Amino acid sequence: MTHIVTESCIRCKYTDCVDVCPVDCFREGPNMLVIDPDECIDCAVCIPECPVNAIYAEEDVPADQVNFIKINVELSNAPGWKSITKRKEALPDAEEWKDVTSKLDQLIR
Amino acid sequence: MPKSGKTSPANWTSLFAETHPAADYAPALFKLKPEKSPMEPQLNQEVINTAAAHDGPIETDAVIVGAGPVGLFQVFELGLLEIKAHVIDSLAYPGGQCIELYPDKPIYDIPAVPMCTGKELTDSLLKQIEPFGATFHFGQEVSTVERQDDGRFFVQTSKGTQFLTKTIFIAAGVGAFQPRLLKVDGLEKFDNTQLFYRVKSPADFAGKNLVIVGGGDSALDWALNFAKEGPNKAESVILIHRRDGFKAAPASVAKMKELCDNYEMQFIVGQVTGYEEKDGKLTGAKVTGADGVTRVVPLDVMLVFFGLSPKLGPIAEWGLDIERKQLKVDTEKFSTNVPGIFAVGDINTYPGKKKLILSGFHECALAAFGAAPFIFPDKKIHLQYTTTSPKLHKVLGVETPVFD
Repeated sequence: MTHIVTESCIRCKYTDCVDVCPVDCFREGPNMLVIDPDECIDCAVCIPECPVNAIYAEEDVPADQVNFIKINVELSNAPGWKSITKRKEALPDAEEWKDVTSKLDQLIR
Repeated sequence: MPKSGKTSPANWTSLFAETHPAADYAPALFKLKPEKSPMEPQLNQEVINTAAAHDGPIETDAVIVGAGPVGLFQVFELGLLEIKAHVIDSLAYPGGQCIELYPDKPIYDIPAVPMCTGKELTDSLLKQIEPFGATFHFGQEVSTVERQDDGRFFVQTSKGTQFLTKTIFIAAGVGAFQPRLLKVDGLEKFDNTQLFYRVKSPADFAGKNLVIVGGGDSALDWALNFAKEGPNKAESVILIHRRDGFKAAPASVAKMKELCDNYEMQFIVGQVTGYEEKDGKLTGAKVTGADGVTRVVPLDVMLVFFGLSPKLGPIAEWGLDIERKQLKVDTEKFSTNVPGIFAVGDINTYPGKKKLILSGFHECALAAFGAAPFIFPDKKIHLQYTTTSPKLHKVLGVETPVFD
């Protein structure tokens, strides 16, 4: 089991979650974060940190977001996706994108 | 225990890990029970004698799996009921997540302790359980748990230590801490021949061309150890870290840079992204630098120090009811579905469970009372108070106070 970052993160990347992670399991891509499932210990402290409610326990991922379970696995080991352990500024247009649904096509891998 | 923020193992943690070159710095923690060396914690002599006399498993009333805060407090609660315990932990030292994940982070929600760090909590618990003479078996994980015909459990660890116990208390948190692996496809075939995640015997690497990967204390300390003059001096040492910033102690980083300036070792910023082999032997690491260029670094041995990450491991195979990687227990005795096996702390789950250290402490008390009938089937167990009970004063080894 692990926790999963879902669609809401795309083009927002607020990064509040990474500061609280006790095991540094977040990975950063150009416009989204994911969780490395091999590192996550299911402590769940990142869930309430996310201002756009992008993070779910694997069992609790909404039905229309289950494809992100696989996306987290793939991208956490993808070339160029690096460990992120300190909070940084959200993407400049995060405010515009935070309430947009169905933005998977915006994901830069 | 997600009680505090980021991972930043303090320097002293690695100082007495089994793999540390400076293992002879014995921290105060260990003075409670003098150890031969942090590599091989010394067993209670009485236990060694007993085991030798029987030439078989250690027979005991209770085995506690996990030496985190809750496992340590389980020793206390069992001790008050005069139940002696053996404690097993995969780490080479007590404290569990408190030591491994947040030794220096302040904790504010331990009742009656307004603030303490993970290390201070561990030290206090070790002091508190001192009267009960628990025996610690560090650096080993429990691999087997099997119920015997006589109702006891056969327990075996990864180091071959065997127990026959009447009860088991699983206080394993989020699992046993294991080294994080370097994820490069195919590299795992060199595990323990040319690729190592820990150093058991430094002499094995003397005279070799070493590539050391990582930026924490373990990586830096081993790099310095193998680069300096001495019996374990390597032919060459190349340190590789993904960035030019380190979690390791600044003094170690400064020393490393000094050695690099004197051409006694090298430091490369980059990530290991592949490897080269010849005739089945690992000959080089492909290192992709910050400039995006991949270079081959020749080597005899690669040492990787990416820190530790907890894994649930074989607990999942012991026939216990598991829900979301946690053991289901009742809230009367904190018993699992197997009578005689209890689960306390972060590893358990029940309606309303909150993963807090203070909840774990409460669970320890009820689990100890729940276990007493397995150990003393004919004894009526009464609740007694440490303030007033002469019997408890005796087990605590304190004088019963006299009030005028």
